Amino acid sequence: MSYCLLSALPTAAELWPIALPLLAGGSAVYFLLPRPKTYPRWWGAGLSTTALLLGGVLPMLGSGVSPESILFWSFSLLGIVSGVLLVTQHNPARAALAFALVVLSTCGLFLLLAAPFLMAATIIIYAGAIIVTFLFVIMLAQPRGMSDADDRSREPGLATLTGFLLLGTLLFVLVGYSQKLQDNRLGVDRLIERTREVAALNDRMAMDEKIGKGWEDDELFKQFSGVFKSRGDWKDLDDRRAQVAIAWSTIDPLDPKAVEASRARLGELIALGEIARDRLAWLPMATETPLSDLSGAPPVREFERVRRDAAGLPRMPADNAAYLGRSLFTDFLLPVELGGSLLLVATVGAIAIAFRRS
Amino acid sequence: MTALPLYHYLMVGAVLFVLGLIGFLARRNLIVMFLCVEMMLQGVAINLAAFARYRGNLQGQAFVLFIVTVAACEAAIALALILMLYRRRHSLDASKWQDLREAGEEATEDMEPLPPSPRLPVYPHLTPAGLEPEHRAEESHV
Repeated sequence: MSYCLLSALPTAAELWPIALPLLAGGSAVYFLLPRPKTYPRWWGAGLSTTALLLGGVLPMLGSGVSPESILFWSFSLLGIVSGVLLVTQHNPARAALAFALVVLSTCGLFLLLAAPFLMAATIIIYAGAIIVTFLFVIMLAQPRGMSDADDRSREPGLATLTGFLLLGTLLFVLVGYSQKLQDNRLGVDRLIERTREVAALNDRMAMDEKIGKGWEDDELFKQFSGVFKSRGDWKDLDDRRAQVAIAWSTIDPLDPKAVEASRARLGELIALGEIARDRLAWLPMATETPLSDLSGAPPVREFERVRRDAAGLPRMPADNAAYLGRSLFTDFLLPVELGGSLLLVATVGAIAIAFRRS
Repeated sequence: MTALPLYHYLMVGAVLFVLGLIGFLARRNLIVMFLCVEMMLQGVAINLAAFARYRGNLQGQAFVLFIVTVAACEAAIALALILMLYRRRHSLDASKWQDLREAGEEATEDMEPLPPSPRLPVYPHLTPAGLEPEHRAEESHV
């Protein structure tokens, strides 16, 4: 259970569900990119539909449907489709419209990610940007006919190959890593299940036998230790596991209360396993950031003390705009000032560049 | 009820980023290239917001706000540059500026001719009928 990138690479069976939609999408973009003699439009349309079906719709149907997932998949499908349109449209005015759709679907994803202020700010700012782009297109666009700028591509094959190689690498690592995490979580689940079975027994001798006889050739405590030692930052869990193991071995089997005491120790072991499972399921909290509580959940050291909602995600402050403002003007005060200066410099620069000398 | 895994959002961000990259590399219209760069920034913004959500703090959202700031600066500068470049070459084609390429690189030429642009419709030119009446100087009534 090592966590380096190489071990996170997927196997051949996991490879095809990513590689097939990537191939279809890559060739769709290649065929759709503008050229003097265009390929038939339905080639690109068919290939991109195939890619979206294989890469988006089928995984969605397979992963279970909830309101959140429906919203997520529709926003991301809209965003990706309009992204492809933006890249492949000949007409820059239509490309600007497609970009507006990309921004809108990104804003939908922001809402799903509990960032309503970002959603509003992005819509307001990019609406202005898109309108200005439209003005530029209307001002500068060639009146009619085909032009070098709009109807030719620079090396469409190489560009598509580069892009989709990068995308493939990113997706393989992302999917492989998350699969690995899920496998480890299932392994911890099996260990917990096993411990529960042991705790259900009514005799200390039988418990000892069941633990010692082992499961996959190892003693139960050693199995837990193996899981905890697989992560460098889980030393606290392994130390607590060692304490439980010592307490377990000091229980006298002939004591009439031995079964209760053993069950209590096994309960502690189960609790440790559940902590490990939660740590595998969710990102670790930032523990060593110099930021204040205003930037979100206080940087508590214990992972287990973070408040979570029903789905298991850490809670965000309800008053998003207020907390974001406090965070910006306390923790990020210097960057805010720098950003303001950058805006000023950019304004001066834009005027200086666009000024008509004559 | 389980939440969507984080990597779903990261994948969407990666796809948007790569599409923008392809557009930036392949397209030749300066305005479309600019839009593609903005789309790459959107992909990055999704990543940051997703990490902020799954870590439960606001740092990622603050970063996205800075991205928006820098994108606004970039838009101002880029559109000013596009305007200036258009004035010099009277075209939005980025390849019109390939004489700025590295020394020793060969110039790329467009071998494939563009199909002829559709003929403009010829409207009948009517000769003006009648004569324009003579304009008299106004008499003063004062």
